[in-house]
This record gives sequence, structure tokens and C-alpha cells, in this order.
Amino acid sequence: MSLRVLIVDDEPLARAGVRARLDGHADVSVMGECGDGLSALQFLQSQSPDLLFIDVEMPGLSGLEVLEALTPEQRPLTVLLTAYEQFALRAFELRALDYLLKPVDDERFADALDRARDALALRRGELPGALTSRHATRFEVRLGHRVQLVHADAIDWIEAQGDYAGLHVGAHTHLLREPLQRLSGRLDPACFARIHRSTIVRLDRVAEMQPLSNRDHLLRLRDGTVLRASRTYVDALRAALLGHGVS
Amino acid sequence: MIRVAAAREGAASIWLPWFAGAPLVLCMTVMALPEIGHEHALAFRGIYALAYLLWTLPLVAVQRALQHRVAWPLTVLALLALTYLMSIANNAVALLLAVHWGAVPSYDWHWLFGGLDGCWLALIAFCAIHAVVDRYQALQAERARVLEALALARDAELRALRYQLHPHFLFNTLNAISTLIAEQRGADANRMLARLADLLRSTLERGEVNEISLAEELALTGHYLDIEKIRLGERLVLDMRVGADLLQAAVPALLLQPLVENAIRHGIAPRTAGGRLELQVERVGEWLQMRLHNNGVTSLSPAEAPSRPAIGLQNVRERLSCLYGTAHQFDFVLAANGDCTVQIAVPFRPMMAPA
Repeated sequence: MSLRVLIVDDEPLARAGVRARLDGHADVSVMGECGDGLSALQFLQSQSPDLLFIDVEMPGLSGLEVLEALTPEQRPLTVLLTAYEQFALRAFELRALDYLLKPVDDERFADALDRARDALALRRGELPGALTSRHATRFEVRLGHRVQLVHADAIDWIEAQGDYAGLHVGAHTHLLREPLQRLSGRLDPACFARIHRSTIVRLDRVAEMQPLSNRDHLLRLRDGTVLRASRTYVDALRAALLGHGVS
Repeated sequence: MIRVAAAREGAASIWLPWFAGAPLVLCMTVMALPEIGHEHALAFRGIYALAYLLWTLPLVAVQRALQHRVAWPLTVLALLALTYLMSIANNAVALLLAVHWGAVPSYDWHWLFGGLDGCWLALIAFCAIHAVVDRYQALQAERARVLEALALARDAELRALRYQLHPHFLFNTLNAISTLIAEQRGADANRMLARLADLLRSTLERGEVNEISLAEELALTGHYLDIEKIRLGERLVLDMRVGADLLQAAVPALLLQPLVENAIRHGIAPRTAGGRLELQVERVGEWLQMRLHNNGVTSLSPAEAPSRPAIGLQNVRERLSCLYGTAHQFDFVLAANGDCTVQIAVPFRPMMAPA
């Protein structure tokens, strides 16, 4: 599966930044770049890329106006780039896939790209992601010279720490030599949910969920620990919590 | 400003003194009690009462006009003369009616100038009441203006205190980013830039609010801690715990960030082994209690000691006094081993509007 991308931004440096971040992904090919809304509109009316990265604040036609000028069928999967959060609402009304705040965060960029891959797979009728049927229930962690087993149901939450994952069990943190990205694929989605680029939480530990002004949320676990959930994961988290019987 | 405008408007309203003077009709009724049973007495007293209520309206206007233009003895004399003329007019009308009803045989100027007490005294009393009401309203307006000025001054002071905070950590972070670039750690530099942007967005876009919800404050502190975590890595161990149902509690915006910054810069960063930072938020009765504890270094040589008392601590102290007066607690304890505890209590109240 490949992703054909169009990049639209009035600043050449910003376009180069998107291109550089896409370079690391083998399944992505850049179809073209546009420096203003009007040429982007003409491009999109004649060709149909899979994914569009478009800046909101541009002279002439803004990114949102470009989307408004297209029919829903003509709109590709869209990731908006903006320095301001206030466009978020309008972005979702236009069915944008995601919006990225400038300066762009590498992990958030990768998240948006994953979203695009999943959405595209759904559009093409494939199953998103490589689904593993077996979920890890025990983890081997080193404790000095011994090896200790940590059970999945003992874990409150998991935190990325470079190439390691910190498994929080009560007041202890066990380091597991596995990046969070890979670990998250091995966990049972009925019990664990990603809430942040560097955090995974066990669903039955969540006691409170409080929205913030920027659409992110703050979670409070039953032991009082406070964790931030970024807006990218909030909807999925809420659905998972509802399925789990936590309001 | 709205309250002041309302008070001024009140001072210009004719109806307030008019209503304040209306009970004088009751006094007139009491004075009329001995005459009950006399022929037509009730009718005459009723006419006097009605006349009083009508006369007081122009009287208010005249008294106001005089008050601001002439000296008060002159005002008093003029009002006495005016109310006297009004009473005469009342009597003239009463006399016409009395002759009409045959209550008195003929027109007689004695009737005109006699028995003025019922009207004249009431009108004089009304002028006195009016003067008192106006004075009181002017005082109220003045008091509102003073309060308004105090509130504005306090806002300005808080704003100034808030601005002290921004550049302080902004430049530290920029310096850290430039270090990361110099060390060719591009990915870390990028991550730190993104965190700095989060932090600036959440502080700069907050605008002019002095209080935010605990949830917002903790998220903001979290953005700052993300930056410090990149710098200190394993050397910083965090433990944040919050009691149930406190995320909506109102706290001063940017209260924790400077304290956390102090704890890290002066306590944990100088330690070779790093250290722990603990934050606990609990509700104790009517108070929201925040306790920040961190490891530190034992002896600061004079060269290392912060030359000025840590800007963050001073700032937090001043803002708490500004916002809560004496209704707050702030304790800073430095143990012999360098461990440091800050304990703050502010009145517990949920934020009104969702943040």
C-alpha cells in the first residue's frame, strides 16, 4: 500500500520540513508541492492524491477555503498545519483527518501518518494494521541480576523512556527493553489504551477524565496519578472506557 | 466600570428620593387622625397628600439644580420659599373646593395662609430626605469607584508578576535547545521545540485570567516538566498525585510552574544522582492543599547560592497575597540535607465556567 501526498504551504521551509519528515517512510511518495491555495485547488481538481498536508494561514485562499471549495468526493484525506488551535473546530467540520500544530512534533507527525494509513486501508477495504491475535500477558523485566515477571493486569500505566518502556506498578517502575511503539501492538486493546505519544494506560485504572481548553484531556487514575491524554487519542480512549464500563 | 455607571445613573434618578419621601404621606395621615369624622376632612387630607406627591417631583429637579450651582445656605432659603409657595397653592385649591362644597362661607385670605403645617412641613421634610439620599448615593458611587480602581491596580500587578515568569524559562529553554543542536541531537532539539511551543501556547493564549482549573495548571506544569525531562533524563523522578474530584478546583494560573522550576534548578539539577520531585494535591476541609517536595543539595557555596531570592518563590508569594489576601497559606521549609518542601493552601472552590 502506498500513500501519494500533496504538500501545500506558502513557506518553502515549511514544505521542506514536511518533505523531510516524509522521507523516512518507504510507503510515502510526494506527488507535488504548491505554494498557495489557488494552485492547490487547481491541482486537487485535476488529480487526486491520497493524503494532503495543507497550511491554514496562507495569503489568498486559506487551507480551509481550499477544502471548502472542493466537493466532498474531491477532498483527499487531509492533515492541516497551523500555528493556532482555534481552527480545530472548523477542521473537524470539514472532516479533516488531523491537524498538526507548528512547530511540528515528530511523534505527532508520525501519529497523523498512521491515522492516514488506517483510514486509507479502511477506504480500500483492508484491515488496518497488522493485527496480532495473541496479546502479551506477562513481561520479563530485569531487577539487578534477577529476571522478574510482571503481569499485565498489575500494570497501572506505561511510559516511554527512550528505547525502554517504564511499567508502572504501584509505586515501582520496571524498565522493559522494548520501545513503546512496539509494545503497544502487543497489548490487549480491551485492557490498555494509548493516550499520548509516550503514554499507555490500563483502562480499569482510570477514575476521572477532565477536558482541557485545547481539547486535550487530563486523566486521574485511582491511585491519584495524573496523566495527560492528547486529543489524537481521546475519542478512541472514550470509546474504550465506555466499552469498559467507566464513564 | 459597570457598577460605577449604575451608581451614577442611580444618583440621576428622580424616583429614588421620591419613593424615599413617600412614607411622609403616612406621617400626614397620622397628623390628620384627630380630624377624622369632620365633614370633608378626609377629602381635604387626601388632596393634600396627592398634592404633596405631585409637588415633590418638580421639587427634586429644583433641589438638584440648586445643589450644584449655589451655596447651601442659599439653597436652603430658596427651597423654604419654594415649598411655602407650593403650600399656598395647595391651600388655594382647597379653598376653591371648600367654597364649592359650602364648607366655608366665603373666600378669606386667612384660610389661604393658615394651617400650612400639613403641607409645608411635609415638603420641608422631603427636601431633607432628598438631600440625605443624594449624599448617600454619591458616597456609594465613590466607594464603587475606589473598589474598581483597587481591582484594576491588582490586575495590573498580577499581570506584571505573570510577565516576570515567561522570559525566565523561555530563555533557559532556548539555551537548552541551542545546546542540543550544537551536540547534533536534532531529534531531541525538535522534541524540545515542540514542547516549548505547547508551553507557550498554553500560557500566552491564556490571556488575562488569574485563576484556572487545577487540570489546566497540571497540564501546563506537565509541558514544562517534559522539557526538563529531555534535559535531565533519568535523573528526574516524578510523582504527581491528586485527590478525587479536585481537577475542577480553581488555582492561580502559573502557580506550580515556577515552584517546580525552582525545585529542579536549585534542588535536583545540581545533584549528581538526580532526585525525586513529589507533588500532592489534597482537599482539607475548605482548603485546597498543594505540597511540593524535592531532594536538594546540602551546602551551597556562596558562589553557587542564588544571588537573588529565587524569583519564582517571591512571585508566587506576592500573587497569593494579591489574590487571596490573608486567606491562604504559604510555607517554605529547607531541611538540613537540602530537601525542600513548599506547602500552599488556597480556599477550595470549583471553577464556575468549564475551562
